[in-house]
Amino acid sequence: MLLDFDRLGGLKWVLVGIGILVSAFLLLPILFTVALSFGSSQWLLFPPPGWTLRWYEELWADPRWITSTLTSLQCAVLVTLLATGLGLLASFGLVRGRFAGRETVRALFLMPMIMPVIVVAVALYAFFLRIGLGGTLIGFVLAHTVIALPLAITSISNALERFDKAIEDAAILCGASPWEARLRVTIPAIRDGLFGAAVFSFLTSWDEVVIAIFMASPTLQTLPVHIWGTLRQDLTPVVAAASSLLLLFTLAVMLLAAWFRRRST
Amino acid sequence: MTPFLDIQNIKKTYGATVAVQDVTLGIGRGEFVTFLGPSGSGKSTTLYVIAGFLDPTEGDVRIQGQSILSVPSHKRNIGMVFQRYTLFPHLTVAENVAFPLRVRRRPNDEIERKVAEMVRLARLETVRDRLPSQLSGGQQQRVALARALVYDPPVLLMDEPLSALDKKLREEIQYEIRRIHQETGVTILYVTHDQEEALRLSDRIAVFSQGRIDQIGTSAELYQNPATRFVAGFVGNSDFLSCRIDRVEGHSARIVLPDGACVSGVRSHGTVRAGSEGTLMLRPERVRIRNAASNTTPSENGAAGLSVTIRDITFLGDNTHFAVETDWKQPMAIRVPFGRAGAEGLAVGDRARVDWVAEDAHVFAESANG
Ligand SMILES: Nc1ncnc2c1ncn2[C@@H]1O[C@H](COP(=O)(O)OP(=O)(O)OP(=O)(O)O)[C@@H](O)[C@H]1O
Ligand SMILES: [Mg+2]
Repeated sequence: MLLDFDRLGGLKWVLVGIGILVSAFLLLPILFTVALSFGSSQWLLFPPPGWTLRWYEELWADPRWITSTLTSLQCAVLVTLLATGLGLLASFGLVRGRFAGRETVRALFLMPMIMPVIVVAVALYAFFLRIGLGGTLIGFVLAHTVIALPLAITSISNALERFDKAIEDAAILCGASPWEARLRVTIPAIRDGLFGAAVFSFLTSWDEVVIAIFMASPTLQTLPVHIWGTLRQDLTPVVAAASSLLLLFTLAVMLLAAWFRRRST
Repeated sequence: MTPFLDIQNIKKTYGATVAVQDVTLGIGRGEFVTFLGPSGSGKSTTLYVIAGFLDPTEGDVRIQGQSILSVPSHKRNIGMVFQRYTLFPHLTVAENVAFPLRVRRRPNDEIERKVAEMVRLARLETVRDRLPSQLSGGQQQRVALARALVYDPPVLLMDEPLSALDKKLREEIQYEIRRIHQETGVTILYVTHDQEEALRLSDRIAVFSQGRIDQIGTSAELYQNPATRFVAGFVGNSDFLSCRIDRVEGHSARIVLPDGACVSGVRSHGTVRAGSEGTLMLRPERVRIRNAASNTTPSENGAAGLSVTIRDITFLGDNTHFAVETDWKQPMAIRVPFGRAGAEGLAVGDRARVDWVAEDAHVFAESANG
């Protein structure tokens, strides 16, 4: 290799130092937030004068936190199902289909990934208000599906492209109808891609805040929106507690995904 | 009598390119027929038409007199082993073999019995619970074979199933395929571009060239009586010498070699016309070589010959290989079995005489298949 880490000499320690600094810069605020959620200071003093679980109790006692969490979960699960399902169908069309304009269709599907989120948010907001979907759960789900779909399609298309179509043909000659072959052979064979799509879709919806702010109504808010709203009203450690829980859940999903992936290979 | 599998006048075109045309072939029940031909000659296309993955532009495919063209692939009940590995990656060996029976909704005890039978037939006992990713290439193709045979298809198609394997393994599995063919009596259509494989396995061989079948016959027929120059070059080793056709009488021709030597009694094939250019074909092991200086007259009846210069001699154990050059600079290969008299004392650079028995020589029209 051109750059062999072991042969860099003194430069090696410089690199290690930079690595540590960058990690610290990214991770410390998160650790800081977690620490504050257990700190006893009402004013988010650091280092905390004492430790307490009070903010978590307050969080638990406030039904708005619970409802917004449930809304978030509900929305994320629906987005996961919708984006993965649509992503699977779209991927079949994009990978296997031979039709004029296929590349254009693919580009359109992937567009939300490169568009600034705020543009998508404003556009969807205006549109959904007009057709009466603003502030509804369906509105949330559809809006998040729009931005989750490119990730789902990318993940599933990649898996489908790696999958040799001849295997599906073999299943068909074995007596499976084309649909049965896809269900019994192709889909199980690309399950890693499907799983990846599901995880990406879930997380996309779970911690999305920009679109959610536009979609939210006073009665229907996702967890990130509620955190944002609470933060703007008063700076309470409850927000830190909520953020910590959000983080914990995200980590759990990622670990679960890694564990599944490890097990399936 | 109508053949068991009847391929009638298949033609397949892609826009302006013709992939195959005029492919007509009748195959008897239990026969092992090989499609032999170079890359792009239309072997797979023909097979895929039979499998139902391609619709022919023209022609028909019948099994026991019934056209199968309107039957979708999954209802044709045909077995197939592909060139690439096509095992279902998420299923074990046993489940792969069971798959065709599961989609046919057969009862479990029957599935168990048939899978056990196939696992035994393909010698897969030790790997039956493994996943495809834990198998060698040869094992994977044996599983594919078991999977293709488990539902007793009347016809088994094999598209270069061994081309990804190394030579030794290939020979081992060729032997297995022969054994399985004999044990099951299934009708097999096998595709390969390896002539040795074709000769070893088949009852009959169809030689493909540029989208057509040049000749169909047993290995011996193809070797002794090649219909075209292409078949002569593709089946067995051959020497080709350019010549002019002097006279044709039935299937016997008199030709003139570039040095002016006249050879009569040469077997002519195809549309050989007097006065046109042709190609003389000889088998390297049917040609004799001897010292030009030795004053023995051309011995046997009707023997013909010419003078050559020896360019290389390779001793190969049971035979010796001579690379020689004619006076008009065309290379020839000659194989002399160990112990045959006449070739002693020859060395590189020597002048020598080569000759052959007239009926061992074949002449083809120059234009036919290049
Ligand atoms: N989809 C296609 N579009 C255009 N031409 C095609 C297509 N498929 C095959 N052909 C052409 O048809 C001809 C026959 O192809 P085929 O795959 O049958 O050859 P083959 O004898 O199986 O060769 P190989 O030994 O390389 O597998 C080739 O010249 C190929 O280029
Ligand atoms: Mg082929």
